[in-house]
Amino acid sequence: MTREVFIAYIEREQEALRGFLLALCCGKKDDADDLAQDALVKAYLSSAGYQDKGKFRSWLFKIAYNTFLNHKASIRCTESIDEARALISSTAADSSFEHQDLYLALRTLPPKERSAITLFYLNGYNTKEIATITDTSEDAVKKQLSRGRDKLKEKLKL
Amino acid sequence: MTKDKALEELFLAQKPHFSDHADFMAALTKRMDAVEYLKQHQEATIRRYKILMVVAFVVGIVSGGVAIGYVLSTPADVPLFTFQVQTGILLWLSENSRILAATSLSLLLTLGIISIISNIQDIQRMRVCLKA
Repeated sequence: MTREVFIAYIEREQEALRGFLLALCCGKKDDADDLAQDALVKAYLSSAGYQDKGKFRSWLFKIAYNTFLNHKASIRCTESIDEARALISSTAADSSFEHQDLYLALRTLPPKERSAITLFYLNGYNTKEIATITDTSEDAVKKQLSRGRDKLKEKLKL
Repeated sequence: MTKDKALEELFLAQKPHFSDHADFMAALTKRMDAVEYLKQHQEATIRRYKILMVVAFVVGIVSGGVAIGYVLSTPADVPLFTFQVQTGILLWLSENSRILAATSLSLLLTLGIISIISNIQDIQRMRVCLKA
């Protein structure tokens, strides 16, 4: 894949990718954009080995997901929504994002559940596709989705 | 697996939209340029390394050939080198000069071959790193 083709693909996919990472980073736009840039550079470096089967977005999401997991050690996971709220309101940059409640609730989920939920509800992937992106079994994805959904509904009082 | 309607609506309603598309792409292009530069630099280093290895190999073969040719061209009954002072160790060295010269040359050639093999392995490793 040439640089021009790669950039053309990215122009098309960057919004979905950034949205996905924004949800994984619980609304922290700067973190999400940094991860997106890292993931895209990794994708560019390995784009020579990419075989076009019409699944560029899934391939990109897989790289982004792995990049997120590699960085998750530096991302603080909070257990309670109150703790998360306190953490977010303490920084001016983070308090400006629009969808606090959803992101606050997502913050309380473990990274794998958060990824599965985001891919399922935000990006519209089915369980099989999520299993491919996250490199797990379909059953594991179903469990993550079920657990994540219950936790989110409880936190958001839906 | 069926979707939870309330959650789906919540996610769809809160789908983020980005207005800094151009800035994001500009930053990405800048990063890609930097990566491209590093990649080219690494490739140039590998090229230089390869040329040096070939030069070292040719020089080694030529000088080894010259040295062995010189050893073989000298009369067998005359020592290859002599010392004017007749002490025990120097006398022994001059008496066994031919064997010592052959042994030293063999050692040098062996070290040369080992070094070439290690260089080849280094280049292969660098290539793997570049691909990854």
